[in-house]
Amino acid sequence: MRYFLTLAAACGLLLAQSDAERKPDRVISISAERFTFNPSKVTLKQGELVEFVLTSDDTDHGFRIPSAGIEVAIPPQGRGEVRVRFIAKEKGKFMFECSRPCGAGHNLMRGTIEVK
Amino acid sequence: MALDFCFTIVNTQTFMQAAPVPGTPVKRLSRIILALALSLSIGQAQNPTELEKRLADLERKMKMLDPSFLPAPELAIIQRLDALEARLDNALSARSSVVAPAAPLPPPPPSANLASTQGGPGLQPVSVSGDFQKAVDSETRLPVAGYMDFHVNKESGDSFRPDFHRFVLLFGHSFSDRIKFWSELELEHSLVEGGEESGEVALEQAYLDFLITPKFNLRAGMLLTPVGIINERHEPPAFNGVERPFVESIIIPTTWRELGFGFTGDLGKGFRYRTYLTSALDASRFNAEFGIAEGKSSGFDSSMRNPAAVARLEYAGVRRLTLGTSLYTGLAGYNTPGINPRVTIVNFDGRYSYRRLDLRGLFANSWVSKAGALNQRLRQQTGVNPNVASQMRGYYVEPAFHLLPRRFRHDVIAFTRYERYNTQQAMPVGYLPLPQFNRSSWVTGLTYKPVPDVALKFDYVFNRNQSSVVNALNGLNLGVGWWF
Repeated sequence: MRYFLTLAAACGLLLAQSDAERKPDRVISISAERFTFNPSKVTLKQGELVEFVLTSDDTDHGFRIPSAGIEVAIPPQGRGEVRVRFIAKEKGKFMFECSRPCGAGHNLMRGTIEVK
Repeated sequence: MALDFCFTIVNTQTFMQAAPVPGTPVKRLSRIILALALSLSIGQAQNPTELEKRLADLERKMKMLDPSFLPAPELAIIQRLDALEARLDNALSARSSVVAPAAPLPPPPPSANLASTQGGPGLQPVSVSGDFQKAVDSETRLPVAGYMDFHVNKESGDSFRPDFHRFVLLFGHSFSDRIKFWSELELEHSLVEGGEESGEVALEQAYLDFLITPKFNLRAGMLLTPVGIINERHEPPAFNGVERPFVESIIIPTTWRELGFGFTGDLGKGFRYRTYLTSALDASRFNAEFGIAEGKSSGFDSSMRNPAAVARLEYAGVRRLTLGTSLYTGLAGYNTPGINPRVTIVNFDGRYSYRRLDLRGLFANSWVSKAGALNQRLRQQTGVNPNVASQMRGYYVEPAFHLLPRRFRHDVIAFTRYERYNTQQAMPVGYLPLPQFNRSSWVTGLTYKPVPDVALKFDYVFNRNQSSVVNALNGLNLGVGWWF
């Protein structure tokens, strides 16, 4: 009984992992370079599970979505990537920006997530 | 919360971890309990291979929830299940009493802040995996940014001359998500003394951005004039060569900052623009050797009676490709009464990277109207004819190749830059061009980057001109520059 109980827990846990573990509906690569994100505008469908793969083509940058309170650091070129996974539940436009001072154009290093 | 984020951060090299989130363990445990409840009906006979697979998957999940858990695939299945069960029991027993995770998680490295713990109810950190950044590899974050530039230069027949060329600190501040400040304060040549020839302290940038919409924003203050590549991207690791390109020092003034205001924006599809009204160039400082470059006011004793207009359009819609064009036009005669020449500059530039090859190039042409009258007026004022040209032109191309494969953490870049620049491209009627100002340079060297923001540089410069009398001197340059 204990054997099956534990095995059942494993199966249930797999189900419970849900959004964190299931394959995202879309994977979008975003590169950061002084002083732009490429692409700087991302259009999503409402309800999509999306994974951003963030890399840098020069120094380290930040990636911040103020409306969601999210801020991560993107490592410098050749030093790895950051994956941000989320569900866009509501329609609207949401700004993201570089949160790590990176030079003269830092303030304008921004982009937009549009959920339709 | 408009966006409901189910949030996973995976950093394959430098890894981040949220601080323990109040309530998170409870959520984890409730998930486990839910799993138990859901799965009571699933216990069916299964073949050993599938059983092994599911067990390994469960162990992997458990390790994500509790990093202190160590799977032991060499043990028998029943023993592995016992271990898992014990760990589940521990988690369940902790359910009602603590909010901390079963095992302490490594602290977040400073280079990878995960601020999501302060997010709204829609933000729910779920799991963390990957390689944790070791403390010895991490980089300390300071509240300021900056860059520094230390050179050793040697011209033919001269000795090595060390120079701590630039010590620059950058400060920014966000008053809100829509009002931001940015500044750059520079000390050049390491020393400033009153009344003596030495370095300079300069305010290179200090402006406010009023962010209105992605396509339309307002900027005001001390601005970098958006002409060419280097004016806005002059951090030492961002370009090859110890010194900045000649074309972007002589044909285009660099670092060219003026007081002004204007508009900036991202037009979409990779297009972005900046357009400003700024203080004017000072034609009284134009000359034959450096053209208009020494006419920049740098915000001191400048004039806005006839503001100059500058606009730049860039395309960055394809990764690793940036194309840009700039137009500058303005009257420059506020210190030459009666003569008010117009300066117009057009430039095209581009940067592209393909695999291990980098390419960049730039073309610039400038025109000075009333150059003949300006020369006469300056000769009256100073006693010297500056021989200012009516047209100046320059271009450069620079291929560079990364010698090490991408898998190496270090980077070695070999580059060659050919530059052609003539500050006497066309002369006003009655003036002859001086051939020593029709110049070209081959700059070839290496850039070594132990980390992406530190550049050790070496180059040799072959200078030539069209004069049979005045020799151009070659140069050897060593330097180290860094950004933080």
